[in-house]
Amino acid sequence: MSESTSLSMTEIQAELEHNEGYFELVWRRFRRSTASIIGGLMVIILVTLAMFSEFFSVGPTNQIDLNEAFIPPQTVRFFDSKGQFHLVPFVYKLENTIDLKTFRVTWVENEEVMYKLKFLAHTWEYELFGLIKTDLHLIGVEEGGTLYMLGTDKLGRDLFGKASEAGRVSLTMSLFGTIISIAVGSVMGIASGYYGGGIDNALQRFVEFVNAFPQLPLWMALASVVPKTADAFTVFVIMSMIFALLSWTTLAREVRGKVLALRETDFVMAAKEMGASDARIIFRHLYPNTLSHIIVILTLTVPGVILAESFLSYLGIGIQEPLISWGLLMRNAQNIQTLDQQVWILSPVVFIVLAVLGFNFLGDGLRDAADPYAAK
Amino acid sequence: MISYILRRVVISVFLLIGIGIVSFIVIQLPPGDFASRYKQYLLAQAGMTEADAERQAQIVRERYDLDKPKAVQFYLWIKGMVTEGKFGFSFAYRKDVGEIIADRMPKTIMLALLCHLVSSVVGIGLGIIVAPKKYGFLDNVTAVLSFLFTSIPRFSIALAILYVLVFTFKQPSIVSFFSPEYVFAPWSWAKFVNMLEHIWPVIVIAGLGGVARNLRVMRGNLLDVLNSQFVTTARSKGLKEGQVMVRHAVPNALHPILAYQGTVLPYMMQGELEAAIVLNLPTMGPLFFESLASQDIYIAGSILLMYGVLIVMGNLISDLALAALDPRIRYT
Repeated sequence: MSESTSLSMTEIQAELEHNEGYFELVWRRFRRSTASIIGGLMVIILVTLAMFSEFFSVGPTNQIDLNEAFIPPQTVRFFDSKGQFHLVPFVYKLENTIDLKTFRVTWVENEEVMYKLKFLAHTWEYELFGLIKTDLHLIGVEEGGTLYMLGTDKLGRDLFGKASEAGRVSLTMSLFGTIISIAVGSVMGIASGYYGGGIDNALQRFVEFVNAFPQLPLWMALASVVPKTADAFTVFVIMSMIFALLSWTTLAREVRGKVLALRETDFVMAAKEMGASDARIIFRHLYPNTLSHIIVILTLTVPGVILAESFLSYLGIGIQEPLISWGLLMRNAQNIQTLDQQVWILSPVVFIVLAVLGFNFLGDGLRDAADPYAAK
Repeated sequence: MISYILRRVVISVFLLIGIGIVSFIVIQLPPGDFASRYKQYLLAQAGMTEADAERQAQIVRERYDLDKPKAVQFYLWIKGMVTEGKFGFSFAYRKDVGEIIADRMPKTIMLALLCHLVSSVVGIGLGIIVAPKKYGFLDNVTAVLSFLFTSIPRFSIALAILYVLVFTFKQPSIVSFFSPEYVFAPWSWAKFVNMLEHIWPVIVIAGLGGVARNLRVMRGNLLDVLNSQFVTTARSKGLKEGQVMVRHAVPNALHPILAYQGTVLPYMMQGELEAAIVLNLPTMGPLFFESLASQDIYIAGSILLMYGVLIVMGNLISDLALAALDPRIRYT
């Protein structure tokens, strides 16, 4: 008897000592879902690829070499043509032949010459984040050899390296656009829910009005207005604003609902009774409590923007060179002949799908986890 | 009920006026008008002097009211549309925009409706099949597929289908509604089949995402309904599972789907837009894109407005249908 009491005492002690905070609870619930963990991993991988694209790129990312145009994806091999196993993976030398009738260039592997791959190799120089000079790369090829894992495009650029790099624009732009829309949407939502009455009515009608717009056609119309001569940064900012323009309404509605519920809770009432100003109630009490919802909506808005951006850039009215985005990389696929002979220029689509799936899974997981106090 | 319908219609009209204003502002945003580009053309190509070219441009401006204030231009545009069915003048096609759109609009609507029909029937049907066996094999497969099909950019699905059709099956005339021999033929079963052979990629591309969405919504609704007490009661009365589904669960789960159609329609139209641009089918999508590129403002503005009209009307119809079918809807 006494033993069991002492046991339960230590248990109580342990419980008292370990007090789980909000984020611990969220994480505990979040990691229970495999899909959201996978989604999170996908996003992390893409972000890492984008941040360290030079490190992951085998060849120079800014290489433009028309002699290397439209090379199909190369295979990394462990077995040579005689079936012999090599511990260090290698690639064969690529040689081009021209069909003299059609002038079509075909690349064939020369099985005589092979180049070994090196890991953490020191090859071409670059500046990490534009600051640190280094020449370290994840994978390198022996002198003279090339490795294009996803092939090359019209200008002889390595599609894998370019697609990794394109993530910088595609991801930051969708994130930037979403953050603008979040800022607008949360202000609208909180104002609408907190003040109620006429303001609420007017704002809700306005939300309905914005929702009635055909999203994609309006985006196309606005994007085609952006002057082609504008510098890269301006285009980037304007495009993000365009995407933000129509995406804030979902959030405004959700936040309004949440604030309507919170407005009647005891702690807000108490704050009001103690004479807190509207600004204090909004920023100290309402805003932090809606933040989890805002983050959830943020992750669920990003995929839509990524998809729209890729389509506009594919059409040539979105991101312009010298910026590079996933959609822009696929622009050459508009030409049916190019598509026939160089199907691999569609490969950046893998990055888009990964990003969209990743953010969707992440958002779904976060939505379930955002309210850890609710019984499930 | 009647006051509810009236109020909804009035709100829709105001929405449309607002959309019209915004469409007009958007298409007026680029600097210069058609006349100034016409002047550039005269200077460069026809070798006119500056004064002559300016005079010609002025004539064009007066003819198409481009010299009037923007507000007047907007008024004339809307007035022409409502009273005479004229949508403004297309500078590239040299005819009234109304005629150009009238040629393409029915095809667009037909495609959107077909997509809608397919996605509703398939999506709801699959939802009904999948829901009773939650987390079963079929449920998981459809879940993965629906996630995938809403994540792959639609233009790349269109490209993939285009690639397969052209280079694997060597199918000719993919960028039109009919094979050449059927273009001028009167409507017949063979012509209809021929049309389906040409437009199925668009329906698949635009419809797949819709199937996925309808499937998820229907599954969720059905799961909620299957857990409610009246279903338990129906089962305890001894009804067969099939009867429970058909008589009690499915009709009650259908209402939210109906309300949801208002958001599915724009999704379908955007899918149609994306697929039609890539496949270059003669619908409103490619025309819209071309007119944006060539700054043919009345086409772009009118099509933007037409998309708005379709979406607002779709919402209106789904709201009214919901109100008629579901007595629980409050008419506020």
